[in-house]
Amino acid sequence: MIDELRELAKYKNLLMQLVLRDLKVRYKNSALGFFWSLANPLVQVATITVVVKYVMRLDIPNYSAYLLGGYLPWMFFQYALLDSSQVILLHRDLLRKVYFPRELLPLSVVVANLIHFILALVVFFAYLLFYYIFLHGSPILPTVLWLPVLVGLQFLLLVGLTFVVSALNVFYEDTKYILTVLMNVMFYLTPVMYVSELVYTRLPEAHRTLLFKLYLLSPLNMLTEAYRKTMLPAFHGGVRGEQIQSLPLDYGMLAICAIVCVLVAVGGYAFFNARKWVFAERV
Amino acid sequence: MKPAIQLHSVTKIFDMIREKQTSLKSAILSFRHARPQKLVAIKELSFTIDHGETVAIIGRNGSGKSTLLRIIGRVYKPTGGSVEVDGRMSTMLDLGAGFHPELTGRENIFFNAAVMGLGTAQVRDKIDQIIDFSELNDFIDTPVKTYSAGMLMRLGFAVAVETDPDILLIDEVLAVGDAAFQEKCYKRIDAFKAAGKTIVFVTHDLEAARAVASRTIWFDKGEVRADGDTQATVKAYLDCRL
Repeated sequence: MIDELRELAKYKNLLMQLVLRDLKVRYKNSALGFFWSLANPLVQVATITVVVKYVMRLDIPNYSAYLLGGYLPWMFFQYALLDSSQVILLHRDLLRKVYFPRELLPLSVVVANLIHFILALVVFFAYLLFYYIFLHGSPILPTVLWLPVLVGLQFLLLVGLTFVVSALNVFYEDTKYILTVLMNVMFYLTPVMYVSELVYTRLPEAHRTLLFKLYLLSPLNMLTEAYRKTMLPAFHGGVRGEQIQSLPLDYGMLAICAIVCVLVAVGGYAFFNARKWVFAERV
Repeated sequence: MKPAIQLHSVTKIFDMIREKQTSLKSAILSFRHARPQKLVAIKELSFTIDHGETVAIIGRNGSGKSTLLRIIGRVYKPTGGSVEVDGRMSTMLDLGAGFHPELTGRENIFFNAAVMGLGTAQVRDKIDQIIDFSELNDFIDTPVKTYSAGMLMRLGFAVAVETDPDILLIDEVLAVGDAAFQEKCYKRIDAFKAAGKTIVFVTHDLEAARAVASRTIWFDKGEVRADGDTQATVKAYLDCRL
């Protein structure tokens, strides 16, 4: 694997070119360009806010901010995985013609989506600054410094998962369909439109702490909550008269999450490497 | 000095995919029975190509020529044996492989050169040379989708040759382009040869082989039928077909 990484380093310009090409082609013929990648989450978030706040009556002050705090990482997760399922087939002519480290293709997908995610985060931060600091005079949260770590962990997680998804889809094109279904399910299972505190209060009281730790073992659950808790203030809210308190960030579980993300990245890379030289024969 | 390309008893066996067996259902259904049929594309092949040689590979359709070129180009891993290559390789790319229709000629040059393993600074150094050679100065900032087949070929050849590789691999593309540009390509190939560089190309065009290759390998059913002086090999190939 060390040799593979060394070879990869030689081709870093190709990685850059693949990412650039992806971004250029995506917005080439649209007048508003990057705006569209912001419009989609904003419309989604507005819709979910109306439903959750006024129909389901989840009452968290400034709920949209908590929703966005979970929704932006979710978008990064979803689009990186969905794009990666197609990336090998999309470059089939290139694969069949010329040598280059194959892992650059899924990597470029994650990097391109990472750029979108970071740009969206910048806009989100401008909003947070305006709302909390400017309008409410709250202090800046020092935990925001965790953000690069969280983004790094999600990046590793996605690199590992996209390696597996992109390789599998070469052999079984069902992968992308299964993935689409899974994504729909995952969206509801992950605390994106609700907060994990709601899950916590619904767990049987006797084993609540242990079960909640198991729940946070899923890196996606853990990361979503960590993004929220580091970027946004603790809240006191309620749902239909029932009080909900925000829980502190579980740093122990975050450490375990970090280990899981690294393992997924390494495992995914090994899975990909074992198959990558057959792609040209199969696509 | 090490030879440019060395093949040591290379064998390539493909799993034949009868119907497109890329669905989960067929994978499960054929899990126990029906081992995939094997196709031996290259059998125990050994040869050496020295630096400075220009080698044409000829043969009928399905003889394994392109497979051979892909083995040399590290696109396929051989099933058995090994390939040693000394120096930087580049492959001439065509539309579909290396060019994105929505991007301009210039943007495509940057991408294409990166595929060959060049860094950004190296591409910047060579970009003017590449554009000059392709004679596409007036169109270089328009999307490639507006290019004709000949223009694309010129661009592909320009990138492949002007990025200064030690070994150039070409799969059946020299035939496109007008006579004047073809002449220019042949001249560039001669200069390339004179600089001690190596070219391996697959072709159906025996005239192209005669024009540029000093050595020709006639490849048939995964094996070498003849290998040597171009005139002699081409003659043997033609005699066999008659």
